[in-house]
Amino acid sequence: MQLKKIKVQMSLATCTLLQVASPGVQAAEVDWDVETSTLYYSESDGRVSAFEPAIYAGKDLEDGGRLDVRLVIDVLTGASPNGAHASTVAQTFTTPSGNNTYTVQPGDTPLDDTFLDTRVSFGADWTIELDRLSRLTLGTNVSKEYDYLALGLSAAYARDLNNRNTTLTASFGFNNDTIEPEGGIPTALTPMVTQGSVANRQGSSDDKTISDVLFGITQIVSRNTIVQLNYSFGQTDGYQNDAFKVLTVIDANGLPSTTGFFDTANTGNRAYVYENRPDSRQRNNLYFKTAHHLQEDVINFSYRYYWDNWDIKSHTFDLKYRYQMEESYLQPHIRYYKQDAAEFYTHNLSVGNDVDATTGAVSRQFASNDYRLAESETVTVGLKYGLPIGDTSEFSVRGEFIRQTVNDGSVLDNEQTPDLDAIVLQLSYSLIW
Amino acid sequence: MNDVKLKKSTDGWHGSFAAMASPCEVLMEVDDESLAEQILKIVSDEAKRIEQKFSRYRDDNVIFRINHASGKAILVDEETARLIDFGENLYHISDGLFDITSGILRKAWRFDGSDNIPKRAVVKKLVKRVGWDKVSWKKGVLSMKPEMEIDLGGIGKEYAVDRSIQLVQQITDHSVLINFGGDLATTSENRRQGYWSVGRLVTGKGNTKNDAVAMFRLSRGAIATSGDAHRYLLKEGVRYSHVLNPKTGWPVPNTAHTVSVAAPTCIEAGMMSTLAMLQGDKAIEFLKLQAVEHWID
Repeated sequence: MQLKKIKVQMSLATCTLLQVASPGVQAAEVDWDVETSTLYYSESDGRVSAFEPAIYAGKDLEDGGRLDVRLVIDVLTGASPNGAHASTVAQTFTTPSGNNTYTVQPGDTPLDDTFLDTRVSFGADWTIELDRLSRLTLGTNVSKEYDYLALGLSAAYARDLNNRNTTLTASFGFNNDTIEPEGGIPTALTPMVTQGSVANRQGSSDDKTISDVLFGITQIVSRNTIVQLNYSFGQTDGYQNDAFKVLTVIDANGLPSTTGFFDTANTGNRAYVYENRPDSRQRNNLYFKTAHHLQEDVINFSYRYYWDNWDIKSHTFDLKYRYQMEESYLQPHIRYYKQDAAEFYTHNLSVGNDVDATTGAVSRQFASNDYRLAESETVTVGLKYGLPIGDTSEFSVRGEFIRQTVNDGSVLDNEQTPDLDAIVLQLSYSLIW
Repeated sequence: MNDVKLKKSTDGWHGSFAAMASPCEVLMEVDDESLAEQILKIVSDEAKRIEQKFSRYRDDNVIFRINHASGKAILVDEETARLIDFGENLYHISDGLFDITSGILRKAWRFDGSDNIPKRAVVKKLVKRVGWDKVSWKKGVLSMKPEMEIDLGGIGKEYAVDRSIQLVQQITDHSVLINFGGDLATTSENRRQGYWSVGRLVTGKGNTKNDAVAMFRLSRGAIATSGDAHRYLLKEGVRYSHVLNPKTGWPVPNTAHTVSVAAPTCIEAGMMSTLAMLQGDKAIEFLKLQAVEHWID
């Protein structure tokens, strides 16, 4: 027998023998377990940066229930792609408020740098032990930022079967989100206009509802292995456009149109029209996860298959290996994500094909050049280091590198959606209070 | 068999009886004599029940049935299954150093302070009959080769202490200390002092005359001790401890004389001290790594 830490395994084996809850569970009955973390996320080329402090606290209640609360603050700065693509000519855009313009140099991807927001989100879950083998969790969530309000409610029921080796879960969630963008809701598929012209607007705010149901099974396969399988179905209804995103309208030369309806100097219309997405989306997720304990190390693997009625299909593979050292641990992480494009994703619209040269009418019902709806691949590699401090607290630091590659299809080299590189750095400290 | 004795002490009541080849005592911070009687009866009944059920020296229990199954599969009751499960867990946790099939090695080794070292061939033959990995154990059904045996003696006394603690906790909040031959635990903190004063035998290099008792305080949880300074063999200046490595059949070299460990339960304390003994000269290193309170001689 090599020298190794066996205290936890011994304690678990003893609890099973004596048929008592593990001491960790008992200790938590009177204490809050608190986790504080600060996450820094930064995209390359001066795009989005996020600074995200968060605090989570949970407490086991005397009646067998549990209370969990969380508070997350996101401070976002930087610039985000406005949907138009890079061109060989300089491009000028009107800001969402209609009060300013910004110009993008030839070859650069148009970014709207007025992007700055702070989001505050608060949530609470209350778990009630219904009987020895079943639990009900009621949750609520409120998230508010400058132009967005999200309100959510959820309920989840879990039941243990088969000597607690199997857990069945069913949950339902409902969210209502309201967006009130700067300058109002752009009329879909109408052009951005010059500063001072009357903007095409369809009201000041809009909303959407999101409903989700989930069925899951968790199975303890052996002393060392646990597997989980979930299926969820979600329905989103209402306004799902990104109010700030446009598409470039190109002419026969592949340049932003400057004639007819889009003769900016005469009509006030710029060669960019606001995107439009269907107002109904049905989402499906099939999720498989397994955790396997080796002698001391732990392997976590998960796979998700997602598909929706916008024709997006995606695969996510995620692998973490927790390498236990004497006191501390190292956890390398690798994630691979691949998605197909939404059926209405298009790199641009062209005069004559999609857009009438004189009326500006768009013949497509739906169109978006949001890179998040494009065919893409994302690879994430990361490393986490955790260091227990005493018996009741742990410090961890996590770093990740993310690269997203968008496949626009057959477009000119200088119009392509650029790769996105980002880093994540997170410091966490958890303790039992 | 009425060896159960109850007498008044300064703290309350002091009960004693003999079970599992050990002196057993129950210290109760209780004024009421009938409650003290009730507690003592619960503890002594439980100790004797466990001894009867799991002793390998009897011919009327589950251990006898298993060891005399002649290769047939035996279905055991739920409590026995939990103990065997625990033995299996410990086998894996200890990488095979703790093995409930190793009791058979005692046929070759008699630790009486003499120089009776067994012949290598005898040990070699016995080792072939040891090894949890050769046992089929699934869903409460055990089967093994006819020449193999299992022995829960390495767990039984500590298990009896913890079980007794659980039973006493069901009937009273008063603080009770249970001590079965040096493996001890408390039900709760002693109200008068906050701790129980406990004596622990420490020895002078196996010399009986230099035995001494060190006192220490136990406020909650359990302490168990492994090792016995008087059980060894001595030949040509080499001291053979009674701690046998089940893989080789030979004593672990350079073991500590005694190791005591404090833990939340007596079982954890007992297993930690047993595994520390099995580490030989790495016992201190092992115990430090586990971050458990320990005393070693």
